[in-house]
Amino acid sequence: MPDQSHVGRRYEATGQVVDGTAAEAFAKAIAGSDEVFSPGAVPPTYGAVYCLFPTLFQIFSDEEVGMSLAGLIHGEQSFEWPSPVRPGDVVDATAVISSVENKRGMTFLGIDHEARRQDGETVCRGRSLMIVR
Amino acid sequence: MTDTITEALHSVAVGDEMTSLSRTVSQSQITAYADASGDHNPIHVDPDFARAVGLPGTIAHGLLEMAILTEAVARWAGGYEQVASVFCRFSKPLLPGETVTCTGRIVAVDDSLHTADLELEATSSTGERVLTHGRATVRLPR
Repeated sequence: MPDQSHVGRRYEATGQVVDGTAAEAFAKAIAGSDEVFSPGAVPPTYGAVYCLFPTLFQIFSDEEVGMSLAGLIHGEQSFEWPSPVRPGDVVDATAVISSVENKRGMTFLGIDHEARRQDGETVCRGRSLMIVR
Repeated sequence: MTDTITEALHSVAVGDEMTSLSRTVSQSQITAYADASGDHNPIHVDPDFARAVGLPGTIAHGLLEMAILTEAVARWAGGYEQVASVFCRFSKPLLPGETVTCTGRIVAVDDSLHTADLELEATSSTGERVLTHGRATVRLPR
């Protein structure tokens, strides 16, 4: 189980390509049809794919942290988009475990994410709150 | 800030309602989101698995609901690039076949940063508040 000693652990997934075709499939999934809101644009919450998941999957499989996926709940999420992301952008995704709290028999894990384009511009920041029952 | 300034700044004022957005979420849409996002947790696509872990059946990804909420903000604000940030809590599950309705209202306008803050909520057609504590900041046209 995650504990205080894991706060500050850092994860990195460099070279995430923001693929236009994949972003379009994501936009269609949000729309539930082929009629997407803004054709050609990368939906902001596509940040899940290039900013959150690459490092979240690393955290979930970090045996030293020992997350139990069986009772995992996504509790809260924030995103910030300081600068637009475009198809073809290549970003480096990083994540830091920022908080671990045990209360009411559950573990609350806070994770701070950032995706930085390779010219240094931050295109997405996120904070995930994961709850393990 | 005076009402006059807010009016002058694009007629956006505290208390204004965001145009709401409703969308019925089907299982095929949830499955498409699983494929497009790479989140293949079986609670979203496998009814037997979902029931085995105590759910009434498959449930939509919280991030899919948040994506629809973010689209609602973007439609109202004039485009995806107007959305500076979004936050929400995933409070209750949304089941396939249910309709999610995203609502919001302006709670602050910053005329120096040219931004407006909204409080947001998403409610299911069964009356459950699926996303709560919702918050967004949008960039207003200069």
